[in-house]
Amino acid sequence: MNLRAENLREAFQGDWVPLALRNLVADPKRMARAVAGIGFASLLMLMQLGFKHGFLESALQFIHVLDGEIFLVSHTKYHFGETDTFPRRRLYQAAEDPAVLWARPLYAERRTSIWKNPESRRAYAIQVLAFDPDEPVFTLPEVAAHLEAIKTPNTLLIDSRSRSFIGATLVDDRPATEIASRMVKVVGAFALGPDFTVDGTAIMSDRNFLLYFPQRAGGLHLTRVDIGVVKLAPGTDPEAVARRLAARLPDDVQVLTRQGLLDLETRFQLDVSNVGPIFLLGTGIGFVVGMLISYQILFNDISDQLPQYATLKAIGYGDGYLLAVVLQQSVFYAIASYVPAAILAAVVFHVIGEIVLLPMEVTPAIVGGCAALAVGMCVVAGVAAVRRVFEADPAEVF
Amino acid sequence: VISVVPWRILTHERVRSALAIAGIFVALLLIFLQLGFYFSVPEGGMLLLDHLKFDVLLTSKKYVFQAQSQIFPRHRVFEAKEVPGVASVSALYQNSTVWRSSVDGTRTNVFVFGADLADDVFTFPEFRADRAQLSERDTVLVDVHSKPSFGRLYAGRRVEVNDRKVTIVGTYDVGIGFVGLGIIVTSDVNFTRLFPGLTRDNVSLGLVRLVPGADPARVVARLRQIMPPDTEILTRDEIAARESAHWVRSTSVGLVFGFGVIIAFIVGLIILYQTLAAQIVRNLPEFAMMKSIGYTAGDLSAVVVRLAVVMTGIAFVPAVLVAVVVYKITAVATLLPIYMTFGRLMSVMALALAMSFGSALFSARALRRADPVELF
Repeated sequence: MNLRAENLREAFQGDWVPLALRNLVADPKRMARAVAGIGFASLLMLMQLGFKHGFLESALQFIHVLDGEIFLVSHTKYHFGETDTFPRRRLYQAAEDPAVLWARPLYAERRTSIWKNPESRRAYAIQVLAFDPDEPVFTLPEVAAHLEAIKTPNTLLIDSRSRSFIGATLVDDRPATEIASRMVKVVGAFALGPDFTVDGTAIMSDRNFLLYFPQRAGGLHLTRVDIGVVKLAPGTDPEAVARRLAARLPDDVQVLTRQGLLDLETRFQLDVSNVGPIFLLGTGIGFVVGMLISYQILFNDISDQLPQYATLKAIGYGDGYLLAVVLQQSVFYAIASYVPAAILAAVVFHVIGEIVLLPMEVTPAIVGGCAALAVGMCVVAGVAAVRRVFEADPAEVF
Repeated sequence: VISVVPWRILTHERVRSALAIAGIFVALLLIFLQLGFYFSVPEGGMLLLDHLKFDVLLTSKKYVFQAQSQIFPRHRVFEAKEVPGVASVSALYQNSTVWRSSVDGTRTNVFVFGADLADDVFTFPEFRADRAQLSERDTVLVDVHSKPSFGRLYAGRRVEVNDRKVTIVGTYDVGIGFVGLGIIVTSDVNFTRLFPGLTRDNVSLGLVRLVPGADPARVVARLRQIMPPDTEILTRDEIAARESAHWVRSTSVGLVFGFGVIIAFIVGLIILYQTLAAQIVRNLPEFAMMKSIGYTAGDLSAVVVRLAVVMTGIAFVPAVLVAVVVYKITAVATLLPIYMTFGRLMSVMALALAMSFGSALFSARALRRADPVELF
């Protein structure tokens, strides 16, 4: 038996038959059905992981648009949205470090910043961020373009990706509305996006912030800061400077790198929004579903080709070869259905992201992770289905 | 014969039939889970309102959702009491602020309820049972479902709420919904101590309870007549509809789970169709045989549809049982109010049967291929 297998393999050496691939493409209609089935299961997993990413990422968007490498926050700060300030003096102290180019304040208000929808006149709490226009802290190009405009008293910029009920898109026609019970003129828009707890965002100058929220920011001198944005000289190591600053500054502030600030906010979001377990459960279900679908497909394929497999067995191919063929075929199924699923996911993510205003991105981690899951579920299905081949008895088939 | 054949097909190769039923089971489970997540969103939004005793709710005109309910004059609540059919009214105060552990200084966000100790406003008994303690200065009850960042919750523990030292006098068990990370309940007097900027003259919600047998529609109509435009009057159903609309449509939460439900239906349909199609193809020779001995295509379709309905019916039972267990686990892990409802059970059942009916008819097209001559 084995000897004959050796001879056969030698005979085919120059002319190897890609059996798994041929099985796959033999019947285009069947392949389309298989790709659709496994592809949808992959799409299910991609969407669950995409939603999880989108939910968490939505709360981190404002961090991504901040300039600078190091951030100072109050030592008890656990969530950006909760007002918890520190003295502005810490920024001057930080600026004394030779590696620091500048250290600038960012102010924020979420509680008393009640915004009136310019059309319906209904009031909603939005988030207001403020900075000195002569010392910008945002990387948003629309903000940079309006630095002069927001110096005018009673003006602000509004997030065009705010939730629709805020009425941020209506302000083109009616630039005047109210915030914190005072008239305000909208002089421009930028694109940021809402998150689990914020429905809309406005950006204004620190002087205007004082006008609207005199009780905040430490009175007339803006001495209480929400986030300190620290820019380092090019080429310096943020980790090393952060350690140095942490050692030098009093312990009423936390010195965080960009990653440190992202981690702080992510921890809070995981705690408040429950998205972790829900979407992982969804991904798990997608995996089981995909496994069942691909098992059924492989099982039917094998059943249909049982005479051929039996023939291979009869002419001396061992179980190892047959297992390799079936596993190859399952990996090919995974690849053939994952590629269109990933492309479809990119389109679906874009559409959903615009509808639900979440930053739905097809990140390498999501694409790679799901690809591994897709191959995994097909291989498990292949291993389960291959028993059918092993049981194929040439004598019985004909 | 038509009613016997599906059973014979099912019991002939039991392992394979079991696998097919397992496939349908997973499809149904997937649909149940996504539906559960989807409906937990409005349920979570309504959780706290569901635990307040009222038939008609007064809110500010500016009310957005419970955690952003704004305030309106307390007069309105008293005015409502004069309307015929109203049994009693209560004012409810709400605000969110910072909870700080006195030991390690960790801060977290907390939602605060305040109500008159003489009023019966909550469905849980502790508020009235612990009246004596709550009448003391700076005392609170805390929900046991508050997040772990609140630390151990026991009577006698002292914490800082909005920079004021308060004592926990007891706990209660309701859940936190979507209003914050934790909830405390206190008397209206202590509420104004916690928030010196607020007075009892402005309330967050007005709870109106009717006398038994009173017609809610008439009371609401009368209230709408007498109330100035700063106050909104809502029945229980109306506030539930508004709260759901906020969470399902205005926030991304409902939309995201809505997409989950759609995908679950598509994937469920695919599994169902594939499973049934596989069963038919497997028995093609037998079907061809039936054709050759005189059964019509309609008879064969009837067999297939029965087979589909029987398999779906068998898969439905474990799917419901496992869904209930997974709902329980998810509810404990995430504190979301996820539970099986009779309505959902029946609609998934109807939908599953419709889906299997459709895919049976669709896959019955394969029977046309069943040519007796070719098979033998």
